[in-house]
Amino acid sequence: MDYDFGERACELRARLRELISTEIPHDYLGAFTDDPEDLEVAQRFCRRLAAEGLLTWAWPEEYGGSGGSVWEQTVVREEMWAHHEPRGAQYMGLNWVGPAIMAFGREGQKERFLPPIAAGQVIWCQGFSEPDAGSDLASLTTRAEPHEGGFRITGQKIWTSYAQMAQWCVLAARVGTATTKKHEGITIFLIPVDREGITVRPIKSMLGPHHLNECFFDGVFAGPDEVLGGVGNGWNVIRRALAHERVGIARYARCDRLMSQWAGTRDGMAALPVGLRSAWARALVQVRVARLLAYRAVAEQEAGRSADVSASAARLAVTQCDQQVAELLFQAVEDRSLEGPDNDAPLEGAIEDHWRYAQAATVAAGTIEIQRMIVSRSLLAGNKGAP
Amino acid sequence: MNLELPDLATDFGAAAARAFADLGGVDCARRAEAEPGVREVEVAKALDGLGALDVDPRSDLDSAAAAGELCRQAGRNVLPYPIASVVMRSPEDGLPFAVVGDDRPRVDHGDLFGEWRISTLDGRSKTAGPMAPRLASKLGPFVTDLTAGRDQDPSTGADVSLHMALTGWQILGTAERALELAVEHVSDRVQFGQRLSEFQAVQFQLADAAVAVDGLRELSRFTLWRLFASPNEARADVLALRLHALDSARSVLRTSQQLHGASGLCDEYDISILCRHIQPEMRLPFGAERTASELFAAAAAIGFSGLFPHGGSAV
Ligand SMILES: Cc1cc2nc3c(=O)[nH]c(=O)nc-3n(C[C@H](O)[C@H](O)[C@H](O)COP(=O)(O)OP(=O)(O)OC[C@H]3O[C@@H](n4cnc5c(N)ncnc54)[C@H](O)[C@@H]3O)c2cc1C
Repeated sequence: MDYDFGERACELRARLRELISTEIPHDYLGAFTDDPEDLEVAQRFCRRLAAEGLLTWAWPEEYGGSGGSVWEQTVVREEMWAHHEPRGAQYMGLNWVGPAIMAFGREGQKERFLPPIAAGQVIWCQGFSEPDAGSDLASLTTRAEPHEGGFRITGQKIWTSYAQMAQWCVLAARVGTATTKKHEGITIFLIPVDREGITVRPIKSMLGPHHLNECFFDGVFAGPDEVLGGVGNGWNVIRRALAHERVGIARYARCDRLMSQWAGTRDGMAALPVGLRSAWARALVQVRVARLLAYRAVAEQEAGRSADVSASAARLAVTQCDQQVAELLFQAVEDRSLEGPDNDAPLEGAIEDHWRYAQAATVAAGTIEIQRMIVSRSLLAGNKGAP
Repeated sequence: MNLELPDLATDFGAAAARAFADLGGVDCARRAEAEPGVREVEVAKALDGLGALDVDPRSDLDSAAAAGELCRQAGRNVLPYPIASVVMRSPEDGLPFAVVGDDRPRVDHGDLFGEWRISTLDGRSKTAGPMAPRLASKLGPFVTDLTAGRDQDPSTGADVSLHMALTGWQILGTAERALELAVEHVSDRVQFGQRLSEFQAVQFQLADAAVAVDGLRELSRFTLWRLFASPNEARADVLALRLHALDSARSVLRTSQQLHGASGLCDEYDISILCRHIQPEMRLPFGAERTASELFAAAAAIGFSGLFPHGGSAV
């Protein structure tokens, strides 16, 4: 039992904090605000990280990374999310699009797609969910019909984060007709978002102006070299992508930081209303426990065991902790919770911003109900006589 | 980073599990309730055979983890014995050790020893001996009030911390077992023509309970590590473990008992014994709300470790 991250990881954390403090404005709330400069900050920061060799720290050395250990990757996730993800939308390319291309891509695809991700030059979006295929993703109906040696893609995607600013999309579509085995035929395409036939429309939401979108595909052509992992093998690619996403967001790190910013000193804690103190104490513990459960999933990954169940358990704890802390901080700021960043809100709007995003935590990347199904299935399977 | 138990602890825990199974598991607690002498005769002998008293959790993290595993196994069986107290007995005079509330020294299995060393959370320490018979109540069958005797040197904070941490491991064991019993029961019991485990409402409750137990297990390990790695924040760390143990166990026990239906209230079923016999560990020296307020005070005063500073002299 040793919870020390080790020297290399601690140095990495210090270096990231130093970079963030010099490169990112102190009132930064992420790339997706009304102010276009915020997106520019993220793009600049990615290029800076790339120049410092930090952007692909987690990637294997053969793809230009540092082969950072899973614990160093954890440090990166924690520091980025704690500081409002200053990589903006690019985290998706780094966290799972790149690794999926490494795992499933042909040589030509690796050469074409990995270097721009590593250089911090490209934004990817994920076109999986559809109006009628959410939790039941395998029932997706966007179709890819064979056409002139390639495919013509028709259908609609929804909730596509960052599609307006993305250059590329990882798109899931069905080749052939759906059989009783819904997972068969699903195929992943890597296509540019500006290709003819693609229309992106923003969806107004509490997450701000540039987050959610719907994407329409009207006979969009895709070449055979744009298939990732082979025709009909899409479900394997998706499973891998979602597994990365599940341990992906270190939400507890933001909770930790905001609580620290609001009342992280002896005096700050002493100033908290008496009625809030036991909830505050519990939240400190919940944040710690959520972090430890996330570490458990990472440890399973490191040991080469399947992290599916532990990642779901972690996600259940982390996302609910996120909402609990969001609510606690709102109790702490009382009716100033109604103020946004433009109203001089507490912590420059970070508390209000966190609350809004936390509402999505239990839905995005697979709802907690689905995580509960994964956890209970494994629990019951371990018991004789279970279904 | 290494989240795994040391081999010493795993092996010791496995031996304890076998020894407690040989005593009859939860049945031993049932028998002790009817015949309290079972504790001195059978349980004390089994612990002796196990070498339970040769482990000193104060010496190093591996030994503390071994003691933790022993307490967890005791908790799984609600072993009728003050396990954390004897593990933490005084190296000088061999007296069992308990952390008590400020006003009334009330101790589980207090009747088993003529003399105790007791300490409040803030380290005021005395000797004490039983002043009254056991409560012999449903929820505190072995709880005994003690009268404080002579003052002792203030106990080291480390003893108080370790005793509270080991009690956390004990409660973890009970919560773990309660979850397993729920899984077994709903996998077996048929209503509306199907096993209860096939109802999603049941599955979701199990999932939440499983996450609660997993989280408590991780926190128990982490807390022991913190006691050795950062002893200056020990008080906040053990209070955090205690708070989480109480909150998690309360909800897991409740879920398990509920999923057992009426049988969950019957002593014939282990879940009923678990729910009753773990109550003293959950209420003594104080319950969840008092723990939360002590934790808040400790975190503010000495700090609480996270990714960012909390309390203490943090700036
Ligand atoms: C902020 C955010 C960003 C997102 N970004 C992307 C993106 O970039 N790309 C992308 O493809 N998708 C994205 N999504 C979509 C996300 O993956 C889906 O929202 C999610 O999978 C749930 O699908 P749904 O919204 O259709 O809800 P539904 O599946 O309709 O579920 C509605 C409710 O019913 C429950 N439910 C569903 N099935 C069951 C069941 N079998 N048993 C019990 N309860 C059930 C759900 O848990 C949920 O509570 C994003 C979502 C959010 C919130």
